[in-house]
Amino acid sequence: MGHDLALLMPEIAVLLTAVGVLIAEMLRRPRISLSIAAAGLLVATGLTVPLLGTETNVFGGSFRIDALSIWAKLILLPATVLSLLLARNDVGGTAREGTVYSLMCLATFGALVLAGAGDVMFLVLGTLLTSLATFALVAYPDDDSATEAAMKFFVFGSVAGAVMIFGLSYWFGATGSTLLADLARTDAVPLAAILGLVAVVVGLGYKASLVPFHFWAPDAYEGAPLSIAAYLSVVPKIGALFALTQVVSDVPANSGWPAVMAGLAVLSMTYGYLAALVQDNVVRLLAYSSIAQSGYFLLGIVAVGSSELALPSIILFAAAYAAMNLGAFAVVALTGRILSDFNGLGRTRVLMGIAMVIFLLSLVGIPPLAGFVGKFLLFAAAIDVQFTWLAVVAIANSVLSLAVYLRIVVPMYRRGERASAAPHTWPSIVVMITFAATFIIGLAAQFFLAGLVR
Amino acid sequence: MNEVALPIVFPLLAAVAILVLRRMAPALALGGAMFSLAVSLRLLGRVADGRLETLLLPGLPDMPLRLTAEPLTALLTVVIATVGTFVLIHSVGYMKRESGLPRFYAVMSLFLAAMQALVLAGDWILLLAAWELIGLCSYLLIGFWFQRPGAANAASRAFLYTRSADLGLYIAVFILIGSAGTSEIAATLNVGGNVAVAAGLLLLLAAMGKSAQVPLQDWLMGAMAGPTPVSALLHSATLVAAGAILLIRVTPLLAPEVLLAIGLAGGITTVAAGVIALAERDLKRLLAASTASQYGLMLIAVGAGVPLAALLHLVVHAAIKSALFLAAGDFQHARGGTGFDGLESVGRVRPWTFAGFALAALALTGIPPLSGFFSKDMVIAAALSAPGAAWLAPLALAGTLLTGAYLARALRLLWRGAGGARPVAGAVWMNVGIWGLVIPAAGLGLVFAPIEALLGLPAPEAEGTAAVLLGLLAAVGGLALGWLVPARHLLGPIHPWAQSGLTVAGGLTALVGRPAMAVSRGCERLEDRLYATALRVGRRGLTIARGCERLERSLYGVVLGAGRANLAMAHLVRVGDERRIDGLIFALVAGVRAWGGRARALQSGLIHHSLAISAVVTALMLVILILASLSF
Repeated sequence: MGHDLALLMPEIAVLLTAVGVLIAEMLRRPRISLSIAAAGLLVATGLTVPLLGTETNVFGGSFRIDALSIWAKLILLPATVLSLLLARNDVGGTAREGTVYSLMCLATFGALVLAGAGDVMFLVLGTLLTSLATFALVAYPDDDSATEAAMKFFVFGSVAGAVMIFGLSYWFGATGSTLLADLARTDAVPLAAILGLVAVVVGLGYKASLVPFHFWAPDAYEGAPLSIAAYLSVVPKIGALFALTQVVSDVPANSGWPAVMAGLAVLSMTYGYLAALVQDNVVRLLAYSSIAQSGYFLLGIVAVGSSELALPSIILFAAAYAAMNLGAFAVVALTGRILSDFNGLGRTRVLMGIAMVIFLLSLVGIPPLAGFVGKFLLFAAAIDVQFTWLAVVAIANSVLSLAVYLRIVVPMYRRGERASAAPHTWPSIVVMITFAATFIIGLAAQFFLAGLVR
Repeated sequence: MNEVALPIVFPLLAAVAILVLRRMAPALALGGAMFSLAVSLRLLGRVADGRLETLLLPGLPDMPLRLTAEPLTALLTVVIATVGTFVLIHSVGYMKRESGLPRFYAVMSLFLAAMQALVLAGDWILLLAAWELIGLCSYLLIGFWFQRPGAANAASRAFLYTRSADLGLYIAVFILIGSAGTSEIAATLNVGGNVAVAAGLLLLLAAMGKSAQVPLQDWLMGAMAGPTPVSALLHSATLVAAGAILLIRVTPLLAPEVLLAIGLAGGITTVAAGVIALAERDLKRLLAASTASQYGLMLIAVGAGVPLAALLHLVVHAAIKSALFLAAGDFQHARGGTGFDGLESVGRVRPWTFAGFALAALALTGIPPLSGFFSKDMVIAAALSAPGAAWLAPLALAGTLLTGAYLARALRLLWRGAGGARPVAGAVWMNVGIWGLVIPAAGLGLVFAPIEALLGLPAPEAEGTAAVLLGLLAAVGGLALGWLVPARHLLGPIHPWAQSGLTVAGGLTALVGRPAMAVSRGCERLEDRLYATALRVGRRGLTIARGCERLERSLYGVVLGAGRANLAMAHLVRVGDERRIDGLIFALVAGVRAWGGRARALQSGLIHHSLAISAVVTALMLVILILASLSF
């Protein structure tokens, strides 16, 4: 038991951080609560590093300490810290500012629970933890659009959660166990296996905003403070996708799940980019783009269990996606939410223009940026398990994505109009960090992968 | 430090230095290119005896990035560095009065570095990365004057066209790595079988995009929106050459049926692009169409199984075409445009430039003893001796004839008529650049023998005299036709169609771009309609809510009345009852009001709608999985 707790030190640190932030908030010390949150999460990241390479589980197999859950901490905790810095820009000075930081820590805790889930109860627990915290975060501004967004998010989340719990009961009925590792036993009762799988796809697909469970996302991103939108597009999403990876690695292959994942991937990528093509609101555009990017993750998930490339590709793309997406949102935070706010940005604020172009090109997947390496590995993983057609569709969508992202780039360098971007300290720091990460992940893929592939 | 990387490193350093220092940009870029030329020559000397020089860099696990220098690739680095150096010398004069010079020279240097990396790449992943980088650099360079109308569009168009064709390269690379188990190019070329056929066709698609082969030729003419030195660099030895270089390097992979496809693609392009060139009304666009046509000839040679002929023509064409473009840039400065209407008799007022232009044009046509004669002779000989000679030889000869015709037409239009010229700033720099390229363009034929010996590739089986005679006949005939007969008479009824670029049904843009936009607009309309429906449902909900509220109010009245009627009841009971019911009903009324207001704000129906869609797809998944499990 003591050994189990030692392995869970990072998670415990995150929880303590959330509590510490709340205490500081009770004392009405928002600056201190921000520092506690950032420091606590970084300490948790540091505590994770010695675990690298561990492959075990705790609490009788119900929570896994493996590559997925360890890398989830290494990616999501720094991503949360960056989101906190962005949030400071949005909610700094408002009442109950510290609550926001605390809720973000709790939602991240939920995402970490999801990423290491070895038991269906942890799936439910993780989904609920992230959902409850993020509902409140979306509604925080307390104006009409935020309330509307939060209500939609809430209704959608409740239905998806209910469906998931209902379906999971079939798995329990079929196997007599809540452990994911026992799912192999569902071989005998294919119908129950299928019902449970579909339910999990609904529940986690909603968190990961996969088409057709994505409807809440554009509204929620638009209504929520920008920092929360950035946070939603990275942390809960990656948590849910990692959880999906944990689940399918135990589902018997003959249930046909790879085909369903491939179908969802095609839907998400294509619908996401097509819808993004007609948006004039940059936040909605990025929301649809993040829906499409979720589809790319599924290329790696399709290969889980059959290809060695599956896990490295998912983890590497998660790191790349976190960096470039947070970066793009940070630039939006400095510039404005409407496409026309970007007119002439590249000419007035040269460095920020370059940063935005780099983030968007990385989202397209141009070498030597992070997005290229990630997508390259995902394509290779899909082709490795005979899903060549899926890789072709994904590559075709990359071409489409270029048109989407050029819609932001082209006005940035148009002559005549001048965008005025207000210089704010925190988002600028986020832009710098993510900019560096986008390059480093792309160039140092070798060393990242050395820790993943043995 | 292994020397293989040096041709890449110097231009790259130059690009970084320009971006950091933001001054002395021309000198830095020129220095980078010259050093690159020097180390390329040294590299060529080191590998001249057929040795391989390899450098391994860390890359993906088990797939290191690899730079390989062999005689073929070393020769190409020399060509690229030479053209790059002279184009940059010319740019010093051409760009003298422009702003944004650091950006221009930095991207030019980066482009050179990427192109050298593409040529030296010894594994598919590095090649893919370099391939994408030159695409990106060409986007930046073509769009250099992004503030001018059309330039940004032309750049995006070039990028999207070539990137769509890159799809072929991506899939081919995956197939090759997948079946050979390694990413080393040399090791993947002997896979054989259906894999080789599929990969070969996909590589052809990628090469057709980059080398502007029909039907993907449209972007090349539009790409003339960039500065002229950019055109000279992109359309001679670099961007466009990447496609032909790719095919030359993978020749051992290509199956006979793929070879025939390549030859036919090249043959059709050489004729179609030649016809387009004949009808062009703009000097730079004529040269662009001519580029596509000449790369068609190279593809014919590859298709005939004689990559040596393709390579020699590529080298010769690189020098000639960059010289022609640089001369066009000089004319452009003299008259302020490149339309033939404004260029009448410009040759008489700028005789040195015109002499260089004419010499290069004659060389490209294939007049002995200029270099083009030898390379074109070899291409025609290759076509005559190929298995598909019945197709390839007539196409190659027609291409040669058209080359003569459109170049003679250009010469005539530049010589005849009347008109003055403006003084040209930086003319000395430009003339050095032009003549530095014209001299190799004229004389390269003399060094063919050592190059052949160096590469050790087979020459075409001799049908010497026939090829020489036919080729010469076609070239001279073309020149005579072009000089004597106006294009309108020469082309007859297809003249207007050729002027519009021989586009079929509006070109690729109309065939692919518009439907895609239509689908996406359809999606938007669908969303709009969903939204409207949702709004309607929401309003109806609101009406019901109001009705409920009214009902509650009357209930309240009834209850209140009842309460009054019961005044006679016991005091304690009455007070207790009324308060409790009051509270309950006030709460209900307030709640309904609040929810009505919120329903308006929420368009709650939208959620139901989207949930319905989610439910339908979930049901579909269930059905598919159940059907799948039944079939197991």
